[in-house]
Amino acid sequence: MKKDKAAPAPRHTLDFLGIALAVVIIGAYFLLPFITQPGRGPSTVAVLTESKKANELGIFKTGLEVLPLAALGMLLLGIWNVLVPGAARAISLLLALAGLLALVYYINFFRDTPLVSPANGGEGTVMGSLGMAFWIMLGASAVAVLQALIPRAVPAPRYRLAKLFGNQESVILFGLLLLVIVVGLANPRYLQERNISDNLAGNAYIAVAALGMTMVIITGNIDISVGSLVGLLAVVSGRLAVAGAPAPLAWLVPLVVGGGFGALIGFLVAYLRIPSIVVTLGMLSIIKGILIIWVQGERVTDMPAGYFLSQMRPLGIPMPIIIMVVLTIGVALWMRYSATGRAFYALGGNAEAARLSGLSRRRLVMTVFVLNGVFVGVASVMYSTQFNIIQATPPPALELSVITASVVGGVSILGGTGTVVGSTMATLLLNFIRSAMIFINISPFWLKAVQGLLILATVLADLLRRRRQRL
Amino acid sequence: MQSAPRNPTRVDKLRHYLISQEGVLFFIMLVSVLLLATRTDKFLTVDNLLQQGRFMTEVGLIAIPMTYIIITGGIDLSVGSIMGLAAIVLGWSWQTLGFPLELAIITGVLSGTLAGFVNGLFIVRVGVPPLIMTLATLALFRGLAEGISQARSARGYPEWFYQLGQGELLGIPTQLWLLIVTVAVFGIVLARTQLGRALYAIGNNETGARFSGLTVNRYLLLIYTFSGFMAGVAGYIFVSRVSTTRSDMGAGIELDVIAAVVLGGTSIFGGTGSILGTTIGVVLIQLLKNGLTLSGLTSDATIVVIGSVLIFAILVNNFILSRRGNS
Repeated sequence: MKKDKAAPAPRHTLDFLGIALAVVIIGAYFLLPFITQPGRGPSTVAVLTESKKANELGIFKTGLEVLPLAALGMLLLGIWNVLVPGAARAISLLLALAGLLALVYYINFFRDTPLVSPANGGEGTVMGSLGMAFWIMLGASAVAVLQALIPRAVPAPRYRLAKLFGNQESVILFGLLLLVIVVGLANPRYLQERNISDNLAGNAYIAVAALGMTMVIITGNIDISVGSLVGLLAVVSGRLAVAGAPAPLAWLVPLVVGGGFGALIGFLVAYLRIPSIVVTLGMLSIIKGILIIWVQGERVTDMPAGYFLSQMRPLGIPMPIIIMVVLTIGVALWMRYSATGRAFYALGGNAEAARLSGLSRRRLVMTVFVLNGVFVGVASVMYSTQFNIIQATPPPALELSVITASVVGGVSILGGTGTVVGSTMATLLLNFIRSAMIFINISPFWLKAVQGLLILATVLADLLRRRRQRL
Repeated sequence: MQSAPRNPTRVDKLRHYLISQEGVLFFIMLVSVLLLATRTDKFLTVDNLLQQGRFMTEVGLIAIPMTYIIITGGIDLSVGSIMGLAAIVLGWSWQTLGFPLELAIITGVLSGTLAGFVNGLFIVRVGVPPLIMTLATLALFRGLAEGISQARSARGYPEWFYQLGQGELLGIPTQLWLLIVTVAVFGIVLARTQLGRALYAIGNNETGARFSGLTVNRYLLLIYTFSGFMAGVAGYIFVSRVSTTRSDMGAGIELDVIAAVVLGGTSIFGGTGSILGTTIGVVLIQLLKNGLTLSGLTSDATIVVIGSVLIFAILVNNFILSRRGNS
């Protein structure tokens, strides 16, 4: 949904309702424990919070965290609604559908089930988690209904099935919802907070790396050295921490070093005019080799306690999720509204036209690779602080996961189109698929085959959609 | 075209060859061989060089169709996975399905061919960009190999099976003969036949080629299928060389192959390239790896040098091209 209109379509203030409602829901999460309901004691949320305190180990078992997660998701959607006015109604329909499904599901399963089972020692139950999910879905469908009623300055897009798949992001969102609902019905444990949180937090670093990759691909370039670079920077960060550097320094240095590598790649691509795929193919080997020679296969261990950024949970939300969401929203806004962001699209869409419009190809390519390097730095810190050990080898085939996320997220490999919202959602989709296979008992050896088929299916859906739009 | 074309003299021809990518690369190879030979006396021996020929056969075989594909402006990232799939199908149909080994070999190679055909079909009929299609099948074919094998390896082949991968013919490793013949045949096909010219035409201007009446789709389908076939053959040779099948065989080989092809002067944007260049690229990479390891570098660490050579060679080539463009 990239539009290069001279004047952006005017937007009604009420379009911001999506964000407002998400904020209310997040607020409710923190406020509700203080509100008691007559006759029933504290609200369900408060019960869950208490049971959480009662069970120190049970932080993952209460189902409580589903609430802010889903609310954050909605916040993302709400902001996206505002960013993409043409897509708002399609998304609203999807949200309404989700809400409806959740309602049916609730009536069937939870009408008489308490959210917290006493038989369970006061812990939240699986059903409790689902109840929470239901609550969110209901809120989502309220947003949908309200949005459908909002008067618009722009003529409303007509309701058509094709409109539902008006962009790649909708396709992925639809796929994600379908997956979660179907697998959740087959095995309710799939919807447990622990699984959802692990899925989101454990792979957030891939989404962050995909932000940089998406920008690079939008300009018509590619970077296949990210996997090696993440491996190298993770060890740099870990060794700094072990050597006694303060944690913030150990977090920041990889960003700077990553930016430096990005600048080197950008220089070779922009000024010496070597195709980016060749430069980064070479850099992949060089960086991996440096890593091998430097660390000699030794894993990094014994990092100080304050170092583990990814294991922190401010406000109960795992840090990687916060970083992923904040960066995705930030980059999405920046790509859409900043001059440089628009210039990236222009360069990828038509390099010659961009040049004639006075854009400097060299400077833009430099910028995009430096930015990509910094994002790879962030991703590497998220990766290195995830566990108590940092492996001496780069995560296997990480560059492929990252490129796949970008491509499935709707970035044309030829440049000029795509959004970072799409790439982040594609990362989530791919990893939810991965864990879904475990929950519906498919041998893990078939995992890659299913993943490949799904990539193919997404790409085909995208192609069909584009073909229909062209007609 | 300001001056009237004059007949090229012998000196002009010589200059042309010297400053072609192949010429530059050959020079780099010569220098590195001499340098490496001074570092260790184990490097420049007939035995060692023949042994290296054994190791580079799989990459060399896959690099031939890869050159074709990159010349047309495409790419095939799935070759490593196809190689693994073919190897697994070979071992599985022999050990689990009870095929005679000859039939199992054919089945393995055929499965590789079919995989390449699927790539080509989607690229040509559906119009999926090659990079994306083969990225998807990179996961898909590797997944099939893993799913079929269930992480079990097949070993214990009869003695004759190892002839191709471990045996010798007239004092030269068997598979090296295969590589030499294949390189010669497909080098000539690319340089001297209608098919070869068509590939260059497609790479330079696909739409133009279509309007000139070339059956572009048929050519593309053919070369992607050919790529799958070669990856299948490489899978067979690999199994024969290492005496076992595992589903992770050939993982990451696509990068080695693409590096060799690009190093050999094939433009990643299509339209130029030669099998001779690719061959020198493959040989250069293998010699560097081996020579550096013999000189005491960790074998994994040699990739630093290879990456640098890749970038350096393209830089030199660009420099020469721009000089030529100015004069």
